Amino acid sequence: MKRAAAVLAALVIVVLILAPLRLNGYAINLLYITVLSIGLAYGWNIISGYAGYFSFGQIAFFGVGAYATGLLVADLHWFWMPAAFAGGVLACALAIPLGYVMLRLRGPFFAMGMFGMAQMVRVLVTAIPATGSGSGLFLPPGSGITEVYYWTLAICAGAIALTIWIDRSAFGLRLQALREDEQVAGTLGVDTTRAKITAFALSALIPGLLGGGYALFLTYIEPDAVFSSRLDLQSIVMAILGGLGTVWGPLIGGLVMTQISEALWARFPQIYLMIFGGLLVALLIALPRGIVPAIADRFAARRNA
Amino acid sequence: MILLQLAINGVLLGGVLALSALGFNIVFGVMRVVNLAHGDFVVLAAVFAAYEFAQSGINPLLLLPLTIVAGFVAGALIHHLLLRRLPGEIASAEASSLTLTFGLSYFLTGAGLATFGGRFVSVPYLTGAFQLGPISIPQARLLAFAVAVVLSLAFAFVLRSTALGRAIRATSQNLDGALACGVDVDRVRTLAFAIGTAVATAAGTLMSFLYNLNAQQGVLFTVNAFAVVVIGGLGNYTGAVLGALVLGLAESFASYFVGATLAEAAPYLLFILVLLLAPGGLRGRRAA
Repeated sequence: MKRAAAVLAALVIVVLILAPLRLNGYAINLLYITVLSIGLAYGWNIISGYAGYFSFGQIAFFGVGAYATGLLVADLHWFWMPAAFAGGVLACALAIPLGYVMLRLRGPFFAMGMFGMAQMVRVLVTAIPATGSGSGLFLPPGSGITEVYYWTLAICAGAIALTIWIDRSAFGLRLQALREDEQVAGTLGVDTTRAKITAFALSALIPGLLGGGYALFLTYIEPDAVFSSRLDLQSIVMAILGGLGTVWGPLIGGLVMTQISEALWARFPQIYLMIFGGLLVALLIALPRGIVPAIADRFAARRNA
Repeated sequence: MILLQLAINGVLLGGVLALSALGFNIVFGVMRVVNLAHGDFVVLAAVFAAYEFAQSGINPLLLLPLTIVAGFVAGALIHHLLLRRLPGEIASAEASSLTLTFGLSYFLTGAGLATFGGRFVSVPYLTGAFQLGPISIPQARLLAFAVAVVLSLAFAFVLRSTALGRAIRATSQNLDGALACGVDVDRVRTLAFAIGTAVATAAGTLMSFLYNLNAQQGVLFTVNAFAVVVIGGLGNYTGAVLGALVLGLAESFASYFVGATLAEAAPYLLFILVLLLAPGGLRGRRAA
């Protein structure tokens, strides 16, 4: 079983690496967006799935990464990869003081507080002249979709590896303890502030790194495009649909969602949103804990029978 | 003088925001559900009113009873068929109600776009203004404000002086206590959600006087209602009215002094500050 999984994983990785050589423009774009959304879902899953702090504002870090990259590339003529890396580091560095303040809030207060924070960052970027204000920022052309795809694929793989580590580590146990009951976790000796700020910073690093690639992908960035609440919410739904706080939830949820979304968009553009929303509600009623836990339960039941 | 004018505009806007926030508040108070589809009910009612006004010239105020009943029935069905089925005991209960109302929000946006199209519409009704010296009071805003006040008072009456209102307040204050006293909590929740959506659609009908809207603007009103409720203290109804006035004034003054772009941040800034500095809200007890 373990061996089969390893072989399968290796096969998938090889296919994903070779994919750009065989695919046309449309398919590679779709693949890029799929990998990007899955990466975002993994980033969100750390703070919200494992630590239980539901954030509606992680897209702020994605936007910060995108804008940092845009400015470094357009104004200071950096090569884009170190620029995107710097964007990720900046997002992560911003998350530490921000987390120190915001993580005092809990439940829906934290969720909507982060939503408000992301909107404020968007408004600020729109107001600052250095970022081209609301009219946006042009990036010099030069790197193709293929490079951006590999960058994104590498970060997504890194995010999965990080999640596997968290799931097995003492750090992950600390996060899950504070998710179940923060006070009890505190009395058991968990430094809850430190654990959740670390989780928050990791949850900012991943979208920060992905944002730089997205800026290159768009070649023209504006606040509404990179602080996209749609992209944010979509990645949240992927993680929940797959299974909150599980290693494979974001991946499975992401694959299911992007496929459904794409198929609907192609066939029913008029009522796409309506079907998408209805389907989400139906899936949630049918599988309230997500796809991965539902499958795991079924296997466990069969083993016990 | 301009300050007085801005204050009047802010108060008039605050009245309608208060009505919308009351609907959001009752749902959170009774069910601990942050209804992400709240704003979509507001916007759908507004777009419907504007559409009917353009098609057949029906006065939106005459539509009000119809939209309230429609909102009530839709809310009762949504709770009875969907929200009630979410498991309550698992750790992700909050997550699943957020996701469910998020999906609902998409559904309503999609339905609105498919039915009414994406054009921004409003009701060009009572476009004049009363002049009181240098102050001008737009008639449509005044009317929307007055109707919102009447509906809010009706809401307060139901909550304070009826058996249902007592059951609703009991359920929000102490779920176990309410159960022990024989309150049919399931029924109370259905009715509370229904009242919440009915209030949202009523507020939306009035919003059609004030804003140019299409079906995609729902999130704006969800955020406004959330901000109002946070500022006033969750589950606190007089606080929500106060919060709505604060937000209405803030939007009015901010858009004059710092421009429309930065003024967009006003509700977010306000509610984050209130959350951090006075977590119980301006009228709330210190939060536990």
